[in-house]
Amino acid sequence: MTNTVMTRVVRREMHSPRTVVTVVVLGLVVIAAVYAGVEIVLHLVGAAPLLVAPGAALAWVAELPAAEPRAAVIAGAVAVAIVGLVLLWFAVTPGRRPKHALGVTGHAVIVDNGVIASAVAERVRRELDVPKGAVVVGIGHRTADVTVRPEPGQVVDRARVRSIAGEELNGYAPEPRLKVRARVLPSAGRDEAS
Amino acid sequence: MNATNRGTNRAILLLTGLILLAAGACTVLASAWPVAAQAWEAWAGGAVSWMQDADESSRLSDATTVSWLTIGVLAVLLVIAVGAVAVIARLGGGRSSVVICEESGEGAQGAVVIRQGFASDAITHSLASRGEILTSRVSASRVRGEDVLHVSVTPRQNTSPVDVAETVARLVDNLARLTGRETPTLVSIHSGVRARLAADQPRVN
Repeated sequence: MTNTVMTRVVRREMHSPRTVVTVVVLGLVVIAAVYAGVEIVLHLVGAAPLLVAPGAALAWVAELPAAEPRAAVIAGAVAVAIVGLVLLWFAVTPGRRPKHALGVTGHAVIVDNGVIASAVAERVRRELDVPKGAVVVGIGHRTADVTVRPEPGQVVDRARVRSIAGEELNGYAPEPRLKVRARVLPSAGRDEAS
Repeated sequence: MNATNRGTNRAILLLTGLILLAAGACTVLASAWPVAAQAWEAWAGGAVSWMQDADESSRLSDATTVSWLTIGVLAVLLVIAVGAVAVIARLGGGRSSVVICEESGEGAQGAVVIRQGFASDAITHSLASRGEILTSRVSASRVRGEDVLHVSVTPRQNTSPVDVAETVARLVDNLARLTGRETPTLVSIHSGVRARLAADQPRVN
């Protein structure tokens, strides 16, 4: 029982609930509905419209294809379609948060990618004995990019970097698993010399 | 972690997205393609004149300009507005103030309720003494009828998440031993501005 509950909790933590976008959309819907209602009531009591009377608005929509300037109408329509596409994108994509679940301890553990990155960088930095800031780690959904810029005169083996980072990540048992991509840049001194 | 219905959120976004996309695409089509423009004007003109007819034929009485059609439109607008507000109001929630709730058993044992504040104080105070953890927050929520404890911590940069997770897990296990009941626990470890600005942990080797 607990297991299904925790799976659900972890899944919900790892994905965005799309709350902000939904609240914005619903807020605009409420404003539009209230505004349309106000215009209709104003029309019924015979008062002057706030912006446009309901009948005139309908007629404008009916004659939209012939409206001038044509370019402005098309640009507006394209903008509306793009907003629609963006909303569809928000509705359909998984909305993954930059986090990983770790298979350590008996409890459910979720870690920001930034925490994993800084811990891996620190481990690689200590093992290779390079100065602070010489190791840059980027954690993606399935990959870990490790970039090392050694001191002048220091030789760093790419395979070694990969094995250190891989060993550290194995200890985390991240879900989904992270594949290490290591890169060793030419040392900083060479750029200045050349 | 809250009880927001994510399916509803996505359904709303899907629906509005489709409507806007369709409206935009139809307008572009009608503006750029004469055949579509004719179809639009014929259809829209028909719809507008139908509405005028319906408006005139469904007047409440001869004396007013109020018709059942306008009342119907107003009712639909009201339903949309109220529905949208209701969905917004239902977002979030699901927090619970109880971590463990034990029914009174046989004999001398009475009902036991452990409030979230107790678990929260116990865990945050224990974590406060640890140098590598900058902030911690504990909340409880109810998921599918089970109380779940959520411990979220922000460690200093360069701290191994495994060490942090084990520290927190030990505290939670101690709490479980004390209360005699295991609460499902989610440990979330965050990075953030606070973690980036704080100094690295002093190394004593």
